[in-house]
Order: sequence, then C-alpha cells, then structure tokens
Amino acid sequence: MSKKTNVLIGCGAIAREHLAILARLDVDILGVCDLSAARAEATAERFRVAKWYIDYQTMLTETKPDLVHITTPPSSHFQIAKNCLSAGLNVLCEKPITVEYRDFLHLRQLAEYNRCILIENQNLRFHSSIRRINDLLSRGEFGDLLDVHIAFSLNLLGKDSPYVDPNAPHFGVTLRGGVIGDFLPHIAYLASMYVGPVIDLRTIWMKRSNAAVPFADEFRGFIKGERASATVSFSANSLNAGYWIRVVGTKMYAETNLLDPPRIAFRRHRGGEQALANLKDGVVEAYDVFKGTLAAFSRKLGGTSSYDGLQEMFVRIYAALERQEALPLSLDDIDATARLVDQFTSSDKSL
Amino acid sequence: MRMLVTGAGGFLGHQIVSQLLVRGHSVRAMVRPASPEPHWGRDVEIFRADMRVSDNLTAAFENIDAVMHVAAATSGSEDIQFASSVVATERFLEAMSNSSVKRLVHVSSLVVYDWESAVGVLDEDTPLLKNPFDMGAYTIAKLWQERVIKKYAQAHDLGLTIMRPGFIWGPNHAKIAGMGRQFGRFYLLFGPFTRLPLSHVFNCANCLVAAAESSVAIGQTFNVIDSDDICVWRYVGEYARRTGQRGFRLPIPYSVGYNIARLALRTSRLLYGNKGKLPSLLTPRRFESQFKPVPFSTKKLTEVLTWRPPLSFAECLDLTYGPKG
Repeated sequence: MSKKTNVLIGCGAIAREHLAILARLDVDILGVCDLSAARAEATAERFRVAKWYIDYQTMLTETKPDLVHITTPPSSHFQIAKNCLSAGLNVLCEKPITVEYRDFLHLRQLAEYNRCILIENQNLRFHSSIRRINDLLSRGEFGDLLDVHIAFSLNLLGKDSPYVDPNAPHFGVTLRGGVIGDFLPHIAYLASMYVGPVIDLRTIWMKRSNAAVPFADEFRGFIKGERASATVSFSANSLNAGYWIRVVGTKMYAETNLLDPPRIAFRRHRGGEQALANLKDGVVEAYDVFKGTLAAFSRKLGGTSSYDGLQEMFVRIYAALERQEALPLSLDDIDATARLVDQFTSSDKSL
Repeated sequence: MRMLVTGAGGFLGHQIVSQLLVRGHSVRAMVRPASPEPHWGRDVEIFRADMRVSDNLTAAFENIDAVMHVAAATSGSEDIQFASSVVATERFLEAMSNSSVKRLVHVSSLVVYDWESAVGVLDEDTPLLKNPFDMGAYTIAKLWQERVIKKYAQAHDLGLTIMRPGFIWGPNHAKIAGMGRQFGRFYLLFGPFTRLPLSHVFNCANCLVAAAESSVAIGQTFNVIDSDDICVWRYVGEYARRTGQRGFRLPIPYSVGYNIARLALRTSRLLYGNKGKLPSLLTPRRFESQFKPVPFSTKKLTEVLTWRPPLSFAECLDLTYGPKG
C-alpha cells in the first residue's frame, strides 16, 4: 500500500510543529503553501518538501492529497476547509476550527455529505499526562470522578507579545473572547472530555490590565456536566505559564502542568492514621515531582516538542486513514468543543 | 536625493535619517503607526506604516529617488522575526514594483556569512550560510531577507547595494553579543583578544549614506565595520568602567569555549540524535558566529567606496557613554 500523502496550508509557527512530526512519520508531504512566497519556500527548504505554493487551490489540484493540514489563522479556516471538503478532500484543521459555531455546523454537514474526514487539532486530548490520567480513570483508580480544574495561564500582555502588538493586530483579536479565544478550544475539549454533555454553565469575563486591548484578559467558568463538574480559567496576566489540570475522584486526585510533562503528582486516599498518611503522601508526591521535573528537563534538552500529544494524534489519524478505521476524534467530539466554546463566549455578560 | 528610509524609528534608522539631512537630502521616514513621534520636525516627512500589514505602501515611493531599507526585527520568536523582516520586505518590494524607484540600499548583517568557512579573513567573498535553520531567529530572518531582495533586484533590474554591518553599537546599545556573557559581576569573555567587527551607529549610518550616494556601490556588497582593532578585552573593560557595571573579566580561550560546545553537541547527539536542543553558547555554529577569532577586512570599503569612519574609537566611546570623566 502506498504512503498516505498530505499538504499543509499556512507556514507559521504551528505549521513547523506539524511538519516536524510529519517528517518522522511514514507519510509523504507533497507541498506547503503560504501567502508569503518566502515563508512557503523557507518552510519547504527546511523540511525538504518538494514543492511550495502561494495559492492553495493550485496546490490541491496538482497534488490531490489524502489529508490537508490547515494551519492558517482562524478567520480563514472556514473558507479553506469548505473548499477542501467541497473538493472531496479530508481536512485536519488547527483550533479553533471555525470562529463561529454555525460555520462549524456547515462544515460538518459538508463533510458528512461528501464522506470526508473533518478533524480539529485537539492535541492535549492525546497529551502523555492526560493519557496517563485517563488510563487510571478507566481502571477505576480514581473512584468516581467528581470534578476537574483546568487553569491556563500565559502572559499574553507583556512587552513584545504579539497578542498586543499595536501595529499588527494579532489574529486573536478577531476571535470571540479576544486573545483568550485562541485557547478556549483546549479548555473546552478537556472539560468536555471529563464532564460529558453540559447541563449548566456560568462564566465570568474580566479585564484586569490596562493593556490597550479591547477584550477581557481573565476568564473563569463553572460547568455542570452529566458526569462531573469542572472549574475552568484562563489568565492572560500571570507571569507563570502553566496549563494546570487537576482531576479529582472519590479515591484519588491527580495534578499536572501540561506544559511541563511528564511531571504529574497523585494523591491517593489511604486508610489508617491521617498524619502518617499525609506524610507518606508528601514523600510520594515529592518523589513524583522530582522525577517528573528531571524527565521534563531532559525532554527539553532532547528537543521534544512542547506540543505534547500532537504526534500521538497524528499517528492515530494516519493509522485510521491507512486502515480506514474510525478516527481518534469524532465529529460529535469536535461539535461538543465548538458548542462549548460558543457557550463560553455567548455568556460573557459579566465583562 | 529624495530618500525613503524604512525602520526610521529604530536605533540605526534614526541615525541614518539625521545624517541624510546633514548631507542635504530630503527624507521620507517610514515609522510604525504606534511608534513615538520622531523629533526631526518639519525637515522629515513621516510616513506611518507597518510593512507587515499596511495597505498603503505604494504611496511611500511617490517622488522618491532611492530607498534605504533598514527595517528588521532584532528580537522575538522565529515567527515574529521572519514576519517582521522577511514577509514585511516581500510586501514592501511588491509595493515598490508599482513605482519607478530603481535604487535600493539594503542593510543586512554579518550574520549571513558561513562563519565556519571563514578561514584567514572574513570578507565579502566569504560564502553565505547554506542551511540557516539551526542558527538563531535573527540569522534565519536576515539571510532570507537578503535572498528575497536579491531575487527582486534581479527580476526588476534594480540598482542594489547590500551593506552588512558588524556589531552596531552606540548610546543605549553598547551591549553586544560579541562581548561574551555577563553573570552578575562576572564577564565571561570567550577569546579575550578576539577582534570585534564593530560598527558605531554614527559611523555605520555615515557609511550607508555614502553607499547610497555612490554610483560605484551599485551592484556591490560591503561589510560595514569601523576597523577590527578593538579586542573583546578592551571593549568589555570600557563598557564595565563607563557604565559603572564594574566587575571581573574572566577570559576563556576561544578554543576552550568552542570545544565545550562541540562536546555538548556530541553528547546531545548521543543522547537525543539530531532532535537535541542546546542554548546558543553550546551550539558550535552559533558560538562561532558570535566569537570566532577571525580578522575582518575593510579593504573593499576603503578601496571601492573610498570610505573611512569619521569617528575614532575614542570619539565613539565619548559619544556613547559621555566624555570620560
């Protein structure tokens, strides 16, 4: 069987992450495309891709790939994905898959009608720490799942941050939720994965800084789901970058920073004397953190991408394509994410 | 001449505008929309635009004889620098193609050379980097910026001059990569007697203006350095003394630093294959481009352009830090 083929549209920073992984997989990258000829050519040269283009329609016609990776800014996703799906091509699109939920529904309909694959990059679902937690959850180690805390913090408003460049507005400005909107899909699919269908939702949007940005820089959300509840947040002001996840079960909880894998700390319920149990927990936790921190440092020296989960996701997608099996992510999963993002940003009355 | 200067709000661009005025040229200075108001007054026409996104770039070329292209990012991620230096230049040149302007002086950098192959002396004949992608973001962007400009110049029969300054220094910009690294009160000097390719911002601007005025400079490339007489030891000593950041200068032979970097690279390859990532100090090629003890030739500058720096090193020091007290 011949290798699966792909092309990539949009040669920015996230494209490099895609291409670095694709270069390690047994697939053929037929072409890359960007509106900037220099960026397209530089990307092709760097990743030894045979052809580069400045017009994606020409690239698609010439190459007819098995999968199109869309890594352009979000406002262009809908039109490009629509054109690909209309041409009967499979699409893997960066998050957020569309700016508006109704546009996603349109793409979904098109994908189903043309029997094409439509998948959004939700790499953190496949993050090594998340997989470890999910494995323990499925084995019943956590007991019943009670609550999930998802707390993202990135300093988006600092000096030289592209998010607040007054000369060239960041694409995040076009998103609902402003620059935070760029990160809401991650929060939404992680929350949705644990809590299930959303029953109720409350949000708080705040503007804390004096930065000249016309949108909120702090977000809090409280979700009641069918399986559990979730507390989610994003801070654009914190100087400490972190994608913290805390999964709380009746018998155990786990806490990890997804930006610093494989560091993860567990605390299990122990019977007996509470003081001794606390001591034992403390020692085990300290050992886990120490071991994880060393491994995380080694991973950085080893050039492991900070986009943990992306490779695993790609491996599963291409394996599914090869074997014509179900994808690792269904349209319903992507729908739930897009819908939750829509709910987050539709309920910003507190702004 | 009626000159358009891009990046005019920056450290070098600002000085170029001032010197063009002194030489009697009329200047249109392109500065970003959110940049502070420059202080040239009515002598300079300010053109507000950001080459990455502005739609009105074509208007910048109206009634212009020559362009001095200085705009480039000097910090930020690879993506940011590529967009600010390369993609912005592409857009700028596209607008230029709609004009009648046929003269361009482009400010590049010595970083575009393949320092590994610089043996004996580094001059304009030294080969350029072929694979810049394991170098820093600035190097990648400057190399691609030059490639884009050369391609455009060839396609549009442009009178192009490429100027490649060394370490540009001056008031509030005296800290340069070639100094080594400062850790608190300690200055780590890699090759204390390495000669620095210094280009004081005043001299550099003077040289660039001279190139713009010269017809013999058309189609030529020049490395822009004042001289290579000043070694790291002296430069850091002056810096520490005159900024009041006194400390200890710790000399480390270049070969020691370079071999440590090579060892680090070998270890990384052994442990992680080609995926390993190291800081620039521990990456041999990047270490070389900052500290390699190679003489720099000013022969072409003096013989073809007949240019010599108007200010001596001592005068540059006074201009940078104030008179020696």
